[in-house]
Amino acid sequence: MKKSGGRSLSSALKRIILLIVFVILLAFLVSIFLITDNERRQYCVRESESVLMTLSDSIRSNIQSYAELSRLIMTDDKLVEYLRAPESEIDLGRINDARYAVMDILNVKEGVDTVIIIRNDRILFSTNRFSYKFDLERLGGTEWDQDIRDARGRAVVSMNANGVAAKPDNQPMVTIGRAIYDLYTQKQLGTLFMNISSAVFERMLGSLRADNICILGEDGTFLAGNRQVLSYGPQALDIHGITHRDIVVEGRRMLLSGTEIDGLPIVVLCVTPYGTAGTPYRILTVLIVMMLFFVLVVFGMGTYITKHFTRPVYELSARMEHNKQSGDLRKIDLDMPYSELNMLKGDYNDMIDHVNDLISTVIEKEQTLQRAEMRVLQEQIKPHFLYNSIETISFLALDAGADRVYDALETLGSFYRNFLSKGDREIRLEQEIRIVQDYLSLQKLRYGDVLEDAYDISPDAASFIVPKLILQPLVENSIYHGIRLKGEKGLIRISAAMEDDVLHLTVRDTGVGMTGEQIEKALSPNREQGDSDTGSFGLWGTIERIRIYCNKEDVVSIESEPGEYTEIRLTITRGG
Amino acid sequence: MDRTIRVMIIDDEESARKLLRAGIRWESLQMEVVGEAASGIEAINVIDDYRPDIVFVDISMPFMDGIEFTEVVTERYPYLIIIIMTAIDQFEYARKCVSLPVFEYMLKPMVRAEITKVLERARDRLSKEPDHWEEVRADSESTLLDDDHPIEHIRKYVEEHFTDPRMNLAFVAQRFGFSASYLSRKFKQDTGRNFVEFLTELRMEKATTLATAHEKMFCTAAEVGIPDPNYFSRCFKKYTGKSYSEYVKEKGSE
Repeated sequence: MKKSGGRSLSSALKRIILLIVFVILLAFLVSIFLITDNERRQYCVRESESVLMTLSDSIRSNIQSYAELSRLIMTDDKLVEYLRAPESEIDLGRINDARYAVMDILNVKEGVDTVIIIRNDRILFSTNRFSYKFDLERLGGTEWDQDIRDARGRAVVSMNANGVAAKPDNQPMVTIGRAIYDLYTQKQLGTLFMNISSAVFERMLGSLRADNICILGEDGTFLAGNRQVLSYGPQALDIHGITHRDIVVEGRRMLLSGTEIDGLPIVVLCVTPYGTAGTPYRILTVLIVMMLFFVLVVFGMGTYITKHFTRPVYELSARMEHNKQSGDLRKIDLDMPYSELNMLKGDYNDMIDHVNDLISTVIEKEQTLQRAEMRVLQEQIKPHFLYNSIETISFLALDAGADRVYDALETLGSFYRNFLSKGDREIRLEQEIRIVQDYLSLQKLRYGDVLEDAYDISPDAASFIVPKLILQPLVENSIYHGIRLKGEKGLIRISAAMEDDVLHLTVRDTGVGMTGEQIEKALSPNREQGDSDTGSFGLWGTIERIRIYCNKEDVVSIESEPGEYTEIRLTITRGG
Repeated sequence: MDRTIRVMIIDDEESARKLLRAGIRWESLQMEVVGEAASGIEAINVIDDYRPDIVFVDISMPFMDGIEFTEVVTERYPYLIIIIMTAIDQFEYARKCVSLPVFEYMLKPMVRAEITKVLERARDRLSKEPDHWEEVRADSESTLLDDDHPIEHIRKYVEEHFTDPRMNLAFVAQRFGFSASYLSRKFKQDTGRNFVEFLTELRMEKATTLATAHEKMFCTAAEVGIPDPNYFSRCFKKYTGKSYSEYVKEKGSE
């Protein structure tokens, strides 16, 4: 269907449907992505939190157990005795007594790197004396044990023995510090530092089989675990409670989680890569099913609209087009599914009615006009008047003894009677022959002996129906364009015979004949306007009429020898 | 065929009647034109006098056209050979009457040769049949003599109904169960007068009364049952010796 101008409804519809489908797909894909992403992150968060909490608890209880250990040391008699002893009594032996007493206690538990006991007079010893260097200057001041004194005997966990002692390689240590008091005097006797080995933490991580965890001091110093993790997030320093952060490592999205441990200067970092774990398959399945459902609905809608709206419109349009092409303006009787389309159809049918009314009015007018014209023509002819006049004059002639006049009038009357022949357009050939005979006998009165006629009509041809006045114009043509021009006596011979239900009619005259050019002109179906007044218009017009009557071109042939004869042969079939 | 065939010509055109009468060689056909009429009305009035075998009827005539005439006549004279003459412009009209027993339709203007052919055919048919006018007369002699005064009844009937333009001898005869020829003879025998004369006198008597009252001629003509004023005027002149207008003038001056 070709309709010019504008986009077609169906293509617009297609576009809209595709757009809707696209939007639906996009919306669903985005939501799937968001939901999946969120779910996976939530999953990671839960996993991470669980790990971190476990680890935190573990660390806390470990530290707690070391704190308990430090209490045991603090209350050890030998140590207390050593601390009470005045400075003057302190010698290497007493120190070693005290040291061994502490070491005995430490044997109970692994993981203590060293215990440092500092007297108020700053005499100190450590269980692992050689691996530490002491900041004696700081020790001389009062800042380093401020928090410990404030804690009044409770365990204080800090880093690196409050800066008093450090490993030669500056390896960070978690330190439990306590102030040691005299049970009787309630005076502080000294200070205890217990450095816990980082191996303790490594062991904890090992037991968790976690390689994505890193344990730090609160100042960011590395304690244990995967040192790589430290490089992901210096931001871990801002951690309060449990904090999560998305990071990208080597193109992989990961979740960096961190937590500080309550009361301890320790931070735990954990990195979890997003994996397929946590994908909400159930939700996704539901979403995809919903998406397919919506897409189907949209396509269904499109099909529905096409079927119930676009197609009826096309059908309507096709019928209108058919009406236009055929020119036969018929009403459309299609069933339209909607009242709006029915309205359109109704309007069109009304218009068709109106147009048909107009056309029939025009036709009627035309017919009336034609009838009126026919009436005028008939009025002009007034055969009754003509015949009565002929009869009256005939009687006058007869009465006066003018028999030849009477004969002529009778022939004239007969000629006109056959000529008008009740207004029929088709007559029997014999009637046409009568017309020709009457015509020729009247012409003979005019031209005397110049004319002679002969007839050879077979009986079955005589009753054949032919268009009226097909012979008379040919005979007239023979007289005026043949015999008369020759100036001598001429013969017109008319013969008719049937052959296979086709009438073969021949008019032969012994006139001047026709030139090839004249013949061609007479046979040419397309006569130019200017030629209408020339010579043998009657001949040409008759041939045209026979062509129309027989509905074919090939109805006539003309044979002539200039100066000798002309023979016109007609082949006439039954009219359709 | 030893008798002469009687032919009647009915046409309002005088020249047409004369042409037909003069153009055909009747005697060689053993025929004779026994009468003419210029209208159907006139023909009805005179046909019983002429007793034709063949009637030429023109379709187009005033007062009673050829069709109406043919209807009336075929009922009363079923053996009559009717040849309808028509010009082309009335041919369709004539064709409507094809149910009537018409012998032939002929298109005007007629050609002598064609007329002659038709007449020869008509003669052939008539030669096989008896003269119906005579035959009717012969077989009706004895049948209807029972009524004591049938002619009285008929007189009375005619006096009451003479203003019907279709009234004629055959009409009355048919009505009372006589043959026309018997009635004609019996009527003359009983009353001493010709039936046609009697009917015409009745009409003319009334006409003179109306003329005295200065009635217009065509009205009088219609009133007395001769709605053809031309024929009426001829009848009137024959009866009174004067034309209608003269008569009216005379009576007016008295």
